[in-house]
Amino acid sequence: MKKIGKKVITLIITLLLISFTAFLAFQIIPGDPAAAVLGIDATEQQLAALRREMGLDRPLAVRYISWVWDFAHGDLGQSYHYRTAVSGLLAGKLPVTLALTALSFVFILAISIPLGIVMARFADTRLGKAMNVGNQTLMSIPSFFLGVLLILVFGLILKWFTPGEYISYTESVTGFLGYLIAPAMAIAIPKSAMVIKFLRSSVLEQRRSDYVRTAYSKGNTDNRVLFVHVLKNACIPVITILGMMIADTMAGSIVVEQVFNLPGLGRLLVSSIGNRDYPVVQAIIVYIASAVVIVNFIVDIIYRIADPRIRDVSL
Amino acid sequence: MLEVKNLSVTFPEGTAVDNISFSMEKGEILAIIGESGSGKSMTSLSIAGLLPHDAAVSGEIVFEGRELLTMSAKERRGIQGKDISMVFQEPMTSLNPVMKIGKQVEEVLVLHTELGREERKQRVLEALTAAGLADPERLYHAYPHQLSGGMRQRVMIAMATVLQPRLMIADEPTTALDKKIQGQILSLLKQINKDRQMGILFISHNLEVVRDFCDRILVMYRGKLVESGTPEEIFHNPKEDYTKKLLASIPDGKRSEGAETGNRKPVLEVKSLNVYYPEKRKQKKQVIFDASFTIYEREMVGLVGESGGGKSSLSKAILGLNKHIEGTIIHHTEYPQMVFQDPYSSLNPAKRIGWILEEPLRIQGKLDKKERKEKVLHMLECVGLEPSYAQRRPRELSGGQRQRIAIALALILESKFIIADEPVSALDVTIQAQILELLKKLKEEFGLSYLFISHDMAVINEMCDRVFRLRDGKLYEEL
Repeated sequence: MKKIGKKVITLIITLLLISFTAFLAFQIIPGDPAAAVLGIDATEQQLAALRREMGLDRPLAVRYISWVWDFAHGDLGQSYHYRTAVSGLLAGKLPVTLALTALSFVFILAISIPLGIVMARFADTRLGKAMNVGNQTLMSIPSFFLGVLLILVFGLILKWFTPGEYISYTESVTGFLGYLIAPAMAIAIPKSAMVIKFLRSSVLEQRRSDYVRTAYSKGNTDNRVLFVHVLKNACIPVITILGMMIADTMAGSIVVEQVFNLPGLGRLLVSSIGNRDYPVVQAIIVYIASAVVIVNFIVDIIYRIADPRIRDVSL
Repeated sequence: MLEVKNLSVTFPEGTAVDNISFSMEKGEILAIIGESGSGKSMTSLSIAGLLPHDAAVSGEIVFEGRELLTMSAKERRGIQGKDISMVFQEPMTSLNPVMKIGKQVEEVLVLHTELGREERKQRVLEALTAAGLADPERLYHAYPHQLSGGMRQRVMIAMATVLQPRLMIADEPTTALDKKIQGQILSLLKQINKDRQMGILFISHNLEVVRDFCDRILVMYRGKLVESGTPEEIFHNPKEDYTKKLLASIPDGKRSEGAETGNRKPVLEVKSLNVYYPEKRKQKKQVIFDASFTIYEREMVGLVGESGGGKSSLSKAILGLNKHIEGTIIHHTEYPQMVFQDPYSSLNPAKRIGWILEEPLRIQGKLDKKERKEKVLHMLECVGLEPSYAQRRPRELSGGQRQRIAIALALILESKFIIADEPVSALDVTIQAQILELLKKLKEEFGLSYLFISHDMAVINEMCDRVFRLRDGKLYEEL
């Protein structure tokens, strides 16, 4: 418990550091947000007035503290470009990205765990070797290219969904999820291939352990040894990889949202960078970075539950 | 009860067991003795049905009238754990680290009986108690890492006896344990044998251990059965030269060579050594406490201990690779060297063997180019490799050949003192035996001293004149 308390403190410090970095980065990069709002025709007085209005004339530390304070209270600032609250902007996009990430992750789990096990189980056979080669190939396909392929095959040829015709979750939840299947697959397939590769080699490594020999000496079948003994041991290192995958999946969604014309955070981020809409960019960066850190925190805790040896270090 | 006829086990790289035959009576304790690579473990694994997949077996193994080698895998599993059980050498790794002790023992009952949950638990608690474990209720819910090595071995024994099989195969079951615990485990096995008429096939490299323990002894050497007889016959009237050699190697309590150390020159003296491991914020964790020992010329000293017990910290300190130390380390020889566990990653993969071997000589700068070349070729010959190997790269060599190169590299500066850190644990058993043989040969040829680090007591006992054990950072000499 003490260890977890320590971890929570580390987590909070990390989150503060992330917010500070995100804040500072936009203070340092050249370009005047006021000029970005008003355009090149603005007079010096107009710019100065707007800077005062936006609070840009205050000292850095003061601006940071008030920004974090507001941030913590749900006020993410005003978008320079859309002239509305950033929180409102994000609120519309966040569910799309979250749903895409979650669905991709479910696909990763659903694809990689059974296939990883099957490939390890039949690693010595021709089928297993062929599957391994296929897996290596899938691993090297970038998500955006796979996205284009999926649109072509399932959208244009098989007509399972209409490319570009996004269905909002406010209209129809099932339609929304149905539209997300193809982009989620585009993200999940290459990542699954990576998890499969990792799980497979982890299972194969565990199968050479002494305790596996003990399990066979008791009269266990191959399958029982695999599922009762090997699998849990083999999954422990895979948990770390899966944690990193969640972070990766969020990053992957930025590109895939462009390909599938999804109104998520990724597209908002790209257009806001173009518009120099710093409050929006900052908020999205803080959101993505925090999500990564929090996911890692959760992975740490799952790790503790899965491996009794780590759980007991303090005993 | 057990009849082994013309058993042979072959691997792609060679023959491990060569046409051996023996039999075992009900309730008998039979010991198979031999050094590593003699085929004793492969014999026991053939009976247990646990041979590696690339092994080819021929011959017959008849257990209670049933032929084990030709029966179906399903029939075989019905015997495993129920009629024939097994206890292994490494109690540290032989239990599943993420499964509770109770479940692991209970699994035998799940697989072979129709007992209900409560009954099974009762039987497990009884078996744990019978194996000499106090507080079985608490152990039932414990994980392996929470137990000491001796306790884990008792758990293995509980697992191997819970169904009261007729035959238990114990492969070096006491080798990894302290002397004191060894005795306890042996008397436990003896008692189980007497109480339940359970036959024990006891595999060991150590004749001394089995002397008062077994009814009959088989001696194996290079895959063949060289001699068999009762302990009296073997100890008092050995027929084969190899058995005599084995008997001669048993230390007679006062250590034959120990008396001479007074005249021998020390190569390494360590006095009151404390080693620290730097942690964050200037804190240091002490890993070695007040270690003192001396290694003499032409001496092989073993160092054993649990992983994380400070073995590597000590060897690094001796080589001057750790500056966080207190105490005295005096080297009486030049260029102390180290041979590592993984011969592949410790050689630069981009360079040819000749270049790698020449490098220390180049740095030292005493010899000219031609002399260096000659020295490299000579060194290759010493470790049993052709001169043409100088042109190869590490990846073109097998694990055993790479370890030979690592040894040549350690010797090229004419070092007299070598620290060998698990030098054979990454190698196959037959290759292990060859490398150990080479280390012994070089010791004689060059008058070397070794500090030999290993987790494998069988290897240590075979190689070393004296053995130190590190426990909780303190050094104890094993007597």
